[in-house]
Amino acid sequence: MQSNPLELTLCGIFLKNPVIAASGTFGFGHEYSEVMDISRLGGISGKGLTLNGSAGNKGMRVYETPSGMLNSIGLENPGVRHFVEHEAAYMRTLGPAVIANLGGHCEEDYLEGARLLNNADIDILELNISCPNVKAGGMAFGMLPDTAADITKKVKAVSKHPVMVKLSPNAPDLVAVARACEGAGADALSLVNTFLGMAIDVKKKRPVFENIYAGLSGPAILPIALRMVHQVAHAVNIPVVGMGGITSAEDALKFLMAGAVAVQVGTMTFADPNAMLSIIDGLAEYCAQEGLANLQEIVGII
Amino acid sequence: MAIIKSNSEIASAIWRMTVSGTPLGRAGQFFMLRVPGALDPLLGRPISICEIDAELGETTFVYQTVGRGTAQFARLLPGQEIEAQGPYGNGFPLKAGRAVLIGGGIGTAPMLQLAKELHASDPTRMIDVYLGFREEAYLEKSFEQYADSVTRNIGGYVVNDVDFSLDATYYACGPAPMLRAAASAADEASANLFVSLEKHMACGVGACLGCTCQTEHGRKRVCKDGPVFDYREVRDAI
Ligand SMILES: Cc1cc2nc3c(=O)[nH]c(=O)nc-3n(C[C@H](O)[C@H](O)[C@H](O)COP(=O)(O)OP(=O)(O)OC[C@H]3O[C@@H](n4cnc5c(N)ncnc54)[C@H](O)[C@@H]3O)c2cc1C
Ligand SMILES: Cc1cc2nc3c(=O)[nH]c(=O)nc-3n(C[C@H](O)[C@H](O)[C@H](O)COP(=O)(O)O)c2cc1C
Ligand code: FES
Repeated sequence: MQSNPLELTLCGIFLKNPVIAASGTFGFGHEYSEVMDISRLGGISGKGLTLNGSAGNKGMRVYETPSGMLNSIGLENPGVRHFVEHEAAYMRTLGPAVIANLGGHCEEDYLEGARLLNNADIDILELNISCPNVKAGGMAFGMLPDTAADITKKVKAVSKHPVMVKLSPNAPDLVAVARACEGAGADALSLVNTFLGMAIDVKKKRPVFENIYAGLSGPAILPIALRMVHQVAHAVNIPVVGMGGITSAEDALKFLMAGAVAVQVGTMTFADPNAMLSIIDGLAEYCAQEGLANLQEIVGII
Repeated sequence: MAIIKSNSEIASAIWRMTVSGTPLGRAGQFFMLRVPGALDPLLGRPISICEIDAELGETTFVYQTVGRGTAQFARLLPGQEIEAQGPYGNGFPLKAGRAVLIGGGIGTAPMLQLAKELHASDPTRMIDVYLGFREEAYLEKSFEQYADSVTRNIGGYVVNDVDFSLDATYYACGPAPMLRAAASAADEASANLFVSLEKHMACGVGACLGCTCQTEHGRKRVCKDGPVFDYREVRDAI
């Protein structure tokens, strides 16, 4: 039997290909399962969860910018308990690896959330210390090496799942944060979350978003995200999952060559729900063309 | 992928585009339209179904050029492809009995397919249409084949023309101030009113939570749970 050149293991979990739906852009899979074949994905990272759920931010929430978008969703989510009781089992039926993305406002939120997630049939816990859209906590945990290491260590201690820490590109010294998370026991890293940006409504003479600042994603951020993935992947020995503006198989290959073992795709799915499927097809074609037995052979060649 | 059959300006900055090869839909639903492969503008633009010709397999959209995305649509020529993702959204409920349709500006567009469906589902029903425009009327003539009366208002407040005390179901789509006026009129007359809401959208399918609004029954997504709501449910969101 011919082996599948796209398969890999990430934190001991089998992925049939390295294309993962990015957190917050795919719900828990329900919506896109109606418009595309989501069973073909390598993995799905669910909407960012907080312990008690949240109604999210008021006012404008999404705003297009040149080749990208700003969002200020503010982690609207049904809470960890709802996820454990209703969504995790559903996600398991879909086929792709199941990743739960956990955010929090304070240490105890994260730890209680991680404890509750021990009761869910998930593959990986993605520890989101990088959401720029919540007032308390969120990104604050991911800005400095010490706080990032501290929360990683504590979550690792209570979680029975592999922990992948999702990093913020807004950290003043991202490589130091990445190394600190590795030192604290992180099983993998994912990056980047959105860049803190801003929009102003000139006619109304006021910021577009109630929170003033919002998170930038999409093709506009790709070159910066790629540089950051390259720097981090070369600084740590744990697997790195790369993302930021990926729209095509060629973009995905850039992240793999820069050192990511897998990629996540977010904003492009909004523009074209089938984008991830085209990326998977394109990666398979690339392996055939290049005569690669496994795509992982090109990881980190640059 | 849909193929453009025609795309022309029918009034100042108002364009009518007919496409074939699109999955059908029903009144009040919308498609995310996008120029294939474009990364700037990146996201699809939500545009309502204006009219469906099921026999020809054609769907018509009427759009106003307000920004970069819609300006790009206006440059497309017959024979070119356009990505039409959908149909998305819940659509208008077809309630039995008399119907009153209120369209303001580009909000007129989805009312046409609604009139068509209401008429087809019960050719004997009374349908009254009220259309409000700032300067120039469009689509007005197309309503005549389905409606018992078509009243137009240019430059004024279309809601003031409407009698809300009829034993009828009211449907409205248009700018927020028009919907608010319709809601207060419906309150006074205890009328049944359905409104179609507009929010900036990224995905159109209910996944990004970019378009949620506060309702009587918690937060709902305009793209997936709407865009059509009983006005009582979304009072605070109009
Ligand atoms: C359910 C629904 C149905 C609609 N049906 C129609 C229709 O049939 N005909 C029509 O002309 N218009 C319709 N609109 C409005 C239309 O989507 C916007 O005018 C269009 O997206 C503007 O895009 P732009 O690039 O030209 O403008 P820009 O202002 O450059 O757009 C920038 C961003 O803001 C978003 N945006 C701007 N204005 C609106 C708006 N009013 N509503 C939602 N998003 C907006 C755009 O989608 C884009 O992401 C509908 C909106 C919704 C939500
Ligand atoms: C609307 C929206 C919501 C998001 N929500 C989350 C979230 O809940 N948790 C998280 O870790 N990242 C979230 N993100 C960030 C994405 O997962 C991803 O890191 C980022 O968008 C960059 O990838 P992209 O350019 O492919 O979208 C969100 C992004 C968008 C656009
Ligand atoms: S536009 Fe994404 S949830 Fe409505």
